[in-house]
Amino acid sequence: MNVAIAKTAAEKALGERFEDVHGKLPGGDDVADVRRKAFGVLMALGLPHRRVEEWKYTDLRARLKSVGMIDPDHRASLAASKLDTALGPLADVQAVRVVLVDGVYSAELSTRELPDAIKITPLSEALAADASVLTGENALQREADESVVALNTAFATDGAVIEIATGATVAKPIMLVQVRSGDEARISATRNVVKVGAGAKVTLVEAIVSVGDASATADDGAVLNTATRISVGDGAHVTHVSSNTDRGAVHLGTWSADIGAETVYRPFYFSASPALARNQLFLTFAGEGAALDASGCFLARGREHIDNTLLIDHAVPACESRELFKGVLDDTARGIFQGKVVVRKIAQKTDGKQMAQALMLSPTCEFDSKPELEIYADDVVCGHGSTCAEIDPDLVFYFRSRGIPEATARALLMESFVGEAIEQIEDEPVADAISELARGWLNDLRADAA
Amino acid sequence: MLEIKDLHVSLEEEGTEIIKGLSLTVPKGEVHAIMGPNGSGKSTLANVLAGRDDYEVTSGNILWNGESVLEMEPEERAAAGIFLAFQYPIEIPGVAGLTFLRTAMNAQRKARGEGELSTPDFLKTVKAKGGELNIDVEMLKRPVNVGFSGGEKKRSEILQMALLEPTLCVLDETDSGLDIDALRVVSEGVNALRSPDRAMLVITHYQRLLNHIVPDQVHVLARGKIQKSGDKSLALELEKSGYAEFAGAA
Repeated sequence: MNVAIAKTAAEKALGERFEDVHGKLPGGDDVADVRRKAFGVLMALGLPHRRVEEWKYTDLRARLKSVGMIDPDHRASLAASKLDTALGPLADVQAVRVVLVDGVYSAELSTRELPDAIKITPLSEALAADASVLTGENALQREADESVVALNTAFATDGAVIEIATGATVAKPIMLVQVRSGDEARISATRNVVKVGAGAKVTLVEAIVSVGDASATADDGAVLNTATRISVGDGAHVTHVSSNTDRGAVHLGTWSADIGAETVYRPFYFSASPALARNQLFLTFAGEGAALDASGCFLARGREHIDNTLLIDHAVPACESRELFKGVLDDTARGIFQGKVVVRKIAQKTDGKQMAQALMLSPTCEFDSKPELEIYADDVVCGHGSTCAEIDPDLVFYFRSRGIPEATARALLMESFVGEAIEQIEDEPVADAISELARGWLNDLRADAA
Repeated sequence: MLEIKDLHVSLEEEGTEIIKGLSLTVPKGEVHAIMGPNGSGKSTLANVLAGRDDYEVTSGNILWNGESVLEMEPEERAAAGIFLAFQYPIEIPGVAGLTFLRTAMNAQRKARGEGELSTPDFLKTVKAKGGELNIDVEMLKRPVNVGFSGGEKKRSEILQMALLEPTLCVLDETDSGLDIDALRVVSEGVNALRSPDRAMLVITHYQRLLNHIVPDQVHVLARGKIQKSGDKSLALELEKSGYAEFAGAA
């Protein structure tokens, strides 16, 4: 017998918001049907909580006290200079920009002249035609059993449909900027579809930022739910970076990826001081000989909470997966790594490795690391490891004996620690910008400790 | 001048006394060797001079140029010219040798009120001094000591010493783990730093190192204090007779 659980305030609010706005969300009747079905899934499942194994360490039901407003007609105006300030070092990366402000595509802030090999359509425009951008091969994995995914489909206001031509080498990264503005707490849901043609080479960056006056916090119900459906054609090479520096808000991010034969897919997750972030990657190997290199850097202090959860499905033989996540935790912050790798019976010659490491600066922070391997094939090489530790006092003494002050020594050691993950980003300007963001975070930590 | 006066040192955690009334004076311009059996307190002395906090000085004093260093942090001691060449140089994953050297040199310059080194000046100095020690700049682009052989680690220590130009050099068993060729290179590096402005304390088990780095004075450390002092011939005597003479009860 199922025990009906009373709905929380946030769940009730989500129900009310849907009734209020669903008629105003982009798309015709077919889209409305897809949304209603997803909403049904969301209401049936409720928000994820600790008894859902994959959400064991991130009890969203308990943590999300309320959800902010949704206004599909809201159009914030934002000066380009303010956006650059919010992007920090990422503003200096020469990129094709697609900008979403409070969940809505901004033609003004987005790059107008696109290289021939790239086609970008706002999601709202695609939805106006029909629902195909949300369904069939474009549907996210886990639509039926993952409420964060269902929430996205039900509420998505806008996003980008990005198509990279077959065989194209895209020189500049494509930067999808999601910016939160204004002082009102909003819940935004954005949905992106990325199709990388066979043999193409591209760097995608998703930058999640807030402008200075976005004062609403997670406690007020400031939530950004993003989902990206990405399909990588055979032989393509994709670097896919998420950079979340939106302090104070809740970010629920889902990437749902299918990667073809002989592809190289390199996702990277950088999270610095979100109130709560869940980065989830559902990836299916769709063709043989592909390589996944997933990595990330998580930086949290205070009560912040960063959860990196991967579900990698080796559905075909002879693919390789690597996971390397490194983070620094202070105060009562919590870092989570779940790196599940499933190796199906058919997936012989799979090579999978997972590593998650945290530096713990306080006795009260917490690192929950759950590398998981579910192997049904018998001819595979798989391994996992995890460490958590304080900064090694012997290392600090070595620095100090050479005249380097303790705080500098600790900062350098932390920087080099997370640097091992950041150097996984192959695109050099992007890697430099992420390094600078990490350094900035560590410097703030040092300044506040002094 | 280094003056150690009736020094008593215990292990911070267990409280075991390791150095039991050690007195020693090393004037500038001189090289003194400290020899002694295992467990006599040699490495403890080296670490206490550098300011490691696993040890507690329970009484006595250490004066460098007339000032007590006991209340000084390790980085302050370094800025005051004290350098410890580690017996086991530590591997620092992720921090490039050049970054480490530059950060150290600039930190010390800053502590002395000097400006930072420019990149070309820094690289020029590193290349010149590294060359003398057979250390290639390429090697210094790698993380500090990571994957280095025993000899490379010790040469890297001496390079740090040559670049930081300390006035008190403490070498803790610098000969351990070195083959004859590496020993020669390291010793030449150390000898090149001998100067009227610099005092050196060379800690070793074996007389062999002292053939290369010839000391002005040799002290025998056993059971936590200096048992005997003499000139370089004392090292040769010890090589023959061993430390048995000093191994009895205090």
